[in-house]
Amino acid sequence: MKSISIKEIATNVAYFLASMAILLGLWHLISVITKAEIPNPASTWIVFKELVADPFYDYGPNDKGIGIQLLSSLGRVSTGFALGSLIAIPMGLLMGSTQIGMKLLNPIVQILRPVSPLAWFPLGLLAFKASDGATIFIIAITSLWPTVINTAFGVSSIPDDHKNVGKAFGFSKWKYLTKIMLPFALPHIITGLRLSIGIAWVVIVAGEMLSGGVGIGFFVWDSWNGLSLERILVAILIIGTVGLLFDKAFNALQNAFSWEKK
Amino acid sequence: MNNIVNPNQLVDSASDFHKINSRENSIDIKNVTVSFKGSKGTFTAVKDISLEVKKGEIVALIGHSGCGKSTLMNTISGMVTPSSGEVIANGNVVKDPGPDRGIVFQNYSLLPWMSVYKNIYEAVDSVLKDKTSAEKHAVVDHYIQMVNLTPHKDKLPGQLSGGMKQRVAIARAFAINPSILLLDEPFGALDALTKGSMHIELLKLWNLDNRNKTIVMVTHDIEEAIFLADKVVVMNNGPAATIKKIVDIKLPRPRNKKDITHDPEYIRVHDELLSLLFDKFSIED
Repeated sequence: MKSISIKEIATNVAYFLASMAILLGLWHLISVITKAEIPNPASTWIVFKELVADPFYDYGPNDKGIGIQLLSSLGRVSTGFALGSLIAIPMGLLMGSTQIGMKLLNPIVQILRPVSPLAWFPLGLLAFKASDGATIFIIAITSLWPTVINTAFGVSSIPDDHKNVGKAFGFSKWKYLTKIMLPFALPHIITGLRLSIGIAWVVIVAGEMLSGGVGIGFFVWDSWNGLSLERILVAILIIGTVGLLFDKAFNALQNAFSWEKK
Repeated sequence: MNNIVNPNQLVDSASDFHKINSRENSIDIKNVTVSFKGSKGTFTAVKDISLEVKKGEIVALIGHSGCGKSTLMNTISGMVTPSSGEVIANGNVVKDPGPDRGIVFQNYSLLPWMSVYKNIYEAVDSVLKDKTSAEKHAVVDHYIQMVNLTPHKDKLPGQLSGGMKQRVAIARAFAINPSILLLDEPFGALDALTKGSMHIELLKLWNLDNRNKTIVMVTHDIEEAIFLADKVVVMNNGPAATIKKIVDIKLPRPRNKKDITHDPEYIRVHDELLSLLFDKFSIED
């Protein structure tokens, strides 16, 4: 991997800070235009400090610290995302490796993929008899598609050169899967996972708004009911930052497993 | 250039040639036609080709680009199924690629996510199923040593030069100990110097195995064909390519790269091949 010079890091940091300055500037402007109906960054900052000062307090079911809310959401997202991926990767492998698999499964993917998470929610409730299960269900079912599609694409684009190695040296199905198909498709799979975790994180807020209980989505809804727009803005910033971190993490994973660049 | 192993253990060319002729057929191509169905109708690459290759023979397929040399070779490897006719290798009709026929692909076809060692090991592991793990590792080490890549065995193919990749591909094909080796323009991408030493390496490996392996190679290099082969198969231009002529190379082995070019027989065969390949030798004004 290429080494990054200090100068490059400094430039990147400067750009990031400038970008944040633009965001804060726009935010402040909107706050001024709306005559502070939308709280400005300064007042939001005060609420942020309060919330972060004691993130893990627990005063009963409807009053918990932001840290607890966040962790609870992260737990659901990970579970839903993991379940979704466990279905998506084998499904993608099947679709990518056989014509029959592609022809049978692709229409299903194309029909189910555009369905909104909210539309799945009642089915989840029915199936799991619990709002928690339903939330995990909608995360799994809406986040799995990018992984399915990217995995299938990765597998179907294995060059003949690589396939011929398997044929010429009589690789068993298992050896072909583990030594040729998976290594070749891995960068594509990770790209799919990266898109999927993004969707999962978007869906969690909607899911928790419907399900209630504990979680960052519920926190947003609860703050709206309590008419604390500052708390909503804090939540939005936290959601955005966590999303960014997810993306960075998967980007790092992508770089780590990409054999092309080495 | 230094020449091949101990010459004393090798028989001279005349009796060698006689020996080869009395051997059984390693490959028997019978009336093979290969057609591909494309968007513009059927394209016939090679038409009604028959060719016999004896065990232990080195045969070079030579011809212009696109004349179907590789296609013909792929019918032996089993990558291409003839539209009519059949290919018999080691007594069996070829249906699929199989480990009795080692292939060195034109573009090496190493798996880019595996080290040199792993690339060879996976092939060995797959083909030599009966061996223990230690024996398999010994085989891999042996062939890596043979192509002088021991210091590079943990590198990924992307970190190797073309010549080194070629050596890995050859080591991989030899390591599974096939009775037939198929080389598709194996030295095409190499510079002249590396090419020369690879020729010697190839003959060395062939000698070490008592010249028991049958080698079929595709090339468009006349000098290479003469230096390596017992028989040069000159093909007509495609489409629907056929065999123009089969030229026997009766040069004694071991052949010396430097001396061979002065041999009258070499010069005669070289001229013959040249005139078979090129109808015109100068541009007509």
